[in-house]
Amino acid sequence: MLNSRLQGFRRLFNVSTLTFRLWNFTGTATVNLLLWAAILAYLSPLSYMFATALKTNSQLSDSLAPIYPATAMTYTFQGNNYDVYEVPTEDGVKQWALVNPSRKESEFIDPVHPELGLIHWDGSWRSLHKAYRPSVTFNNFVTLWNNIDYPNHLRNSLIVVVLAELGVLCSSIAVAYGFARFRIPGGRFLFLLCIATIMIPDSITLVPSFVIFTRVLDWNGTFLPIIVPHFFGSAIYIFLLRQNFKTIPREMDEAAMLDGAGPLRTLVSVILPQAVPVVVTVALLQFFNIWNEMRMSSLYLSSALDLRTMPFTAQAFVSYGFTAEMLQASALVLIIIPVLVLFVAQRFFMQDMVVTGIEK
Amino acid sequence: MEITKSRFNIGEWLRRPRGHLTMRQREGLVGFLFLLPWILGFVLLKAIPILAALGFSFTDFKMLEPENTKFIGLTNYINILKDASAGSSLFGSIAVLVQAVPIELGVALGLAAVFSSARVRFKGLFRTLVFMPSVIPAIALFIIVFGLVSPGSGWIERLILDPLNLPPIANLFSIFPILLALWTIGPGFLIMYGAMQSVPPEVYEAARVDGAGPINRFFSITIPMISPAIFFSLVINMISSFGGVALLDRGLPFSQSLSPMESYINAQMFSYSKLGYASALAWIMFIVVMVITLAVFRSAKYWVHFPEEEDNVEF
Repeated sequence: MLNSRLQGFRRLFNVSTLTFRLWNFTGTATVNLLLWAAILAYLSPLSYMFATALKTNSQLSDSLAPIYPATAMTYTFQGNNYDVYEVPTEDGVKQWALVNPSRKESEFIDPVHPELGLIHWDGSWRSLHKAYRPSVTFNNFVTLWNNIDYPNHLRNSLIVVVLAELGVLCSSIAVAYGFARFRIPGGRFLFLLCIATIMIPDSITLVPSFVIFTRVLDWNGTFLPIIVPHFFGSAIYIFLLRQNFKTIPREMDEAAMLDGAGPLRTLVSVILPQAVPVVVTVALLQFFNIWNEMRMSSLYLSSALDLRTMPFTAQAFVSYGFTAEMLQASALVLIIIPVLVLFVAQRFFMQDMVVTGIEK
Repeated sequence: MEITKSRFNIGEWLRRPRGHLTMRQREGLVGFLFLLPWILGFVLLKAIPILAALGFSFTDFKMLEPENTKFIGLTNYINILKDASAGSSLFGSIAVLVQAVPIELGVALGLAAVFSSARVRFKGLFRTLVFMPSVIPAIALFIIVFGLVSPGSGWIERLILDPLNLPPIANLFSIFPILLALWTIGPGFLIMYGAMQSVPPEVYEAARVDGAGPINRFFSITIPMISPAIFFSLVINMISSFGGVALLDRGLPFSQSLSPMESYINAQMFSYSKLGYASALAWIMFIVVMVITLAVFRSAKYWVHFPEEEDNVEF
C-alpha cells in the first residue's frame, strides 16, 4: 500500500538524513512548546493570587499601579521625601521627583542628577503616573499570622485528617478484601449496591443525618459527625481497592492459608504488600478530600468555631470582607499544604489507576 | 493440652470442622464479617436517612418544634409543583451538569491524547501541574476567581477587556463554573491517560500499516479502547456536579454550592427550617439523579467496550 511505503521512507529518513532529524526536532519542540503554553494559560489564574498576596494595600488602591508587586518610588531631597513620577519630556519619559506641585506647572528634581537643581515642567502633575519599582512584601502573611490562630486550625485539620484516614483505610480495605476474595451469598448484589451508593447525592441524606447527629446523638459542635462516617468505608475507595486486589494471584493467598494464616493475616501479609500503590492512592485521595472538606464542617462546627479546620481560615475573610491582598494571601496559605503533598507524593499517585475492568 | 491451641486463632477456628457448617458456608460467613463495616454504614448512613427523608417529606417537620409535626400527605410535593423557584433550581442544576461535564471530559481527553505522544518531555512534572488545581480547596478557588473578576482591579478587566477596548461584562462571576470545571479535570485526565498507556502499541502499528492517520487512529482505536475510562470519568464528574461523593472532592460548602437545587434545599432547611419541604425537594432531586444515572448506565452498552471480565470468583 502507498501509505505504508511512505512510512518505510520516513523510517529510512529518520536514521539517515539530517533533514528528517531537523524536521523531527522541530515537531518535538512545537508539541512541547504548545503544551507548555497551554499549561501556563491553564495555571495563569494562580499568578493573580501570587502577585496580589505580595502587594501592599497602597499599591492596590492606586488603579494605575503595575500588576506585578511593586512599591512607589520616593526620593529624599534636602531632608524631605518626594514621590517620583513618570514625566514625559522631549527626551522621553523621565523618572523625576515632584518637589513643588502646582496646577499648571510644577518643579521636579532628577534623582539621577540632583546637581542640576529644580527642573521646571509645564503641565498638570495630576495627569502623571507614579513611578514604581518591583518589590514584594511579606507583611500580609505576618498580619494573617497575627490575626488568625493558624496553629489551632492546623491542629484541628490534622486530627480530622488522621482519624478519617485511619477509619476509611481500615474499613475500605477490609470490605474490598471481602468483596474480592470471598464467595458470599448475594455478594454480587451487595457489590452492585455498594457501587450504586456512589451516585447518591448528599442532599438526600442531609436532613435526616443532621437530625440524627444533632438531636439524637447530640454530636453538634464536635468532630464526631465529620469523622465517624468514614469508619464505615467509602464506596468509591472500596471499588478501587477491590479492582486492584482482584489482580493479585489467588495462589498467593491460598499458599499463605495452607501455611496456617487466617484471612486477616493473609490480608495484612500477602495482599497489602502487593497493593501498596493503590492503597497510597486511596490514602492521598482521602487526604485531599478531608483536608478540603467544608460541607459537613460548616454544618456541625458552626457552634464550635475553635474546632474549625484550615479551609475556614480563609472563609472568615470572605465573610468579613477583608482587603484583596489579605484575601489572596490567605488563599495562598490555604493551598500550600495540599499542593506540597501532591508534589511530594506525585510519584506514587494514581500510577496504576488504570480503569479497564469496570463492571456494570 | 497443646500450647498452640491456648491462643485463639481465627484461621484455625475457621478450618476446624464445625459439623453443620460447610466450608463454603464458612467462607461466606467470614466474607460477610469483612463486609460488615460497609453494610452497617449502608444501613445507618444511607438506607435509614433516605427512608427517613421520605417519611419527613410527608410531614411539616420543623427543626425547632418537632413535637408539633403533623402528617400532611402529599402537600409538600404539591407545593413543589407550584413553587417556581424549585423548578428553576432543578433546571439550573441540570444546566450546571450540561455545562461542566463536557468541558471536564473534553479537555481531559484532548490533553491526555496530546500528552500520550512520545514527543512530550518532562511528563512527571507536567502531569502533576495538570493535576494540581484539582486539589486546591474550593474556598481558595473562590477567592482567586473573586479577585480576578472584581470590577476595576480584576485582571480579566485590566489585562483582557481594557486593552482590547471591550466593554465590561455584566456578570463576570459567571466564569466561575467554567474555571471550576477546567480546574477539576485532574482525576479524569489521569484515568484516561492511564487507560491510553495500556492500549497495546501493536494495535496502533497495525492500523498505521493499514493507512490510518493520527486522527483516524484516535477516533477508531483510542476512543473505543479507553471507553471504560471515559465512562468512569463521566460518572465521577456527573456525581460531583450533583454534589455526591466524587473521587476527589474540593469541599464546596453548601452555602456556596454550584448546584442551585442543592442551595435551594439548603436554604429551605437552614434559613426557613422547613425540614419536611427540604426532604421532599431532596427526594425529587434524588429521583432525577437516579434517572439520569440509570440512563447513562443503560447507554453504556452502546458505546462502552467493557473487556471480558477475567473473573474466577463466582458470586
